[in-house]
Amino acid sequence: MEGILFPRGIVEEKEGLDAYRARGGYQALEKALNRLSPGKLLQEIDASGLRGRGGAGFPTGKKWAFTADTSETPRYVILNGGEDEPGSKKDRLLMENVPHLVIEGVILAAYAVGASKAYLYINAAYKDAIQAMEEALADAKKLGYVGERIGGKDFSLEIVFAPAPPEYVAGEDSAVIEVLEGKKPLPRQKPPFPATAGLYAKPTAVNNVETLANVAPIILRGAAWYRGFGTAESPGTMVFSLNEEVKRPGVYELPFGTPLRHLIENCGGGTRDGKKIKAVLPGGPSSAFLSGDQLDVALDHNSVRAAGSSIGCGVIGIVTEDQCIVEEALRIAEFFAKESCGQCPACRMETNTLAMLLKKIQQGQGSAPMLEQFAKVIAFNKGKGFCSLINMPGPPIESAVRLFRGDFDAHLAGTCPGN
Amino acid sequence: MKRICLVCQNVDCKNRGSEEIMKELEQRASDKGLDDWEVKPYMCFGACQEGPNVVLYPEKSWYAGVKKDDVGDITEHMAGGPDVKRLDTIDASLKELIYQLLDTGVF
Repeated sequence: MEGILFPRGIVEEKEGLDAYRARGGYQALEKALNRLSPGKLLQEIDASGLRGRGGAGFPTGKKWAFTADTSETPRYVILNGGEDEPGSKKDRLLMENVPHLVIEGVILAAYAVGASKAYLYINAAYKDAIQAMEEALADAKKLGYVGERIGGKDFSLEIVFAPAPPEYVAGEDSAVIEVLEGKKPLPRQKPPFPATAGLYAKPTAVNNVETLANVAPIILRGAAWYRGFGTAESPGTMVFSLNEEVKRPGVYELPFGTPLRHLIENCGGGTRDGKKIKAVLPGGPSSAFLSGDQLDVALDHNSVRAAGSSIGCGVIGIVTEDQCIVEEALRIAEFFAKESCGQCPACRMETNTLAMLLKKIQQGQGSAPMLEQFAKVIAFNKGKGFCSLINMPGPPIESAVRLFRGDFDAHLAGTCPGN
Repeated sequence: MKRICLVCQNVDCKNRGSEEIMKELEQRASDKGLDDWEVKPYMCFGACQEGPNVVLYPEKSWYAGVKKDDVGDITEHMAGGPDVKRLDTIDASLKELIYQLLDTGVF
């Protein structure tokens, strides 16, 4: 199908300037500079219903309004390409393959919120993405879309690159700002939120790569056109990541509301060995497991939530019938224990304790009362961290115990249901 | 079953000297011939800002902010002496959570 971000909804060869212009590239910026005030542009984004694609799904128009509505200057825009979620590759592939679309989105965001400087914060391990973005930025500068008095208007914008440490927590928005200020990637206590007091305590719009990639098409074709894709509360498309569990791994841009089954079976070609699906994590390691009989769930925020999980940043994890959920839950718990930055005691205790409990159970040294401890530890620590990492291990672990109690009982009895 | 003296060895407690406290506890317990006790490291009790933390189990005595000078009183308690009330400062709900965890035999 036709995509909004990728011309055919899938990754093809890198789109250069000419190809981008042939599909309307930089016309949204021309339109904005000539016909739209920053306020009008922001209204259009708000009306489109665009939601952040970094995992939280917060409405972009509202986020930008917090920044635009302050009297403080200077203001900043940060393209958050710190992507380090296991299995996620959408931001990397957007920057590598449609870099102009991303750059145009950054410029439009800066115009909307009144920012004079934008940072391209990109995972330092993403060499090809950084190179593609450097080339696209050079093109945009030549065309006069970046620099002083863009289009002869009272709008100037400097864009610079900033390497993101390849660590999970370095993608958290306030940790991003810490890095740009030359510090370690440690999340800040909120409020204040970056939107009003971010980089150097100035208003800062921090947006995920995919979020900003949606901006130019919305401005060019309008909010009503955009709402023709997806659902009322999740308009547009989402770029989903499929990994080695399927026959055709890759990223697939699909309208919100597409059934999970379509993504896995038609796009991904089904599981690699044709094995039956036992469980799915529809939104990466911080989402709750869905069971294999929930594949007809529609992939949009509300439907996935109603099914008991969350869509996150669209990384689909698949567990097949020959795999053990205890092993998967342990892997997730150890991931969060490792990625917790350690500055909040509650997060440190929670992530370590969950991993320790699961390790004992996985090793056959568990006891039935241990299964009752997960919910207690999670509830005790809920919301007690500076960032949301503390809330992340809960959904997958609690759903694992609820949906697949048999796998846990097998481990308590000293066996493993996996092959 | 041996009784356990758990000493947190995570970052904050370590920064406050918990490695030395653990060694001191081991030494004193040995000197006193407390053969029914085992001094063991623990990964985190969730009271980092009040560390170093030491928990006696199954006594369920939690001693916070332990200094080297306190180790004598703690080993006295381990030997059947009185609780070290001045070090008993941890919130009851956190204690309950951790004691329930320890009851599952997770350590």
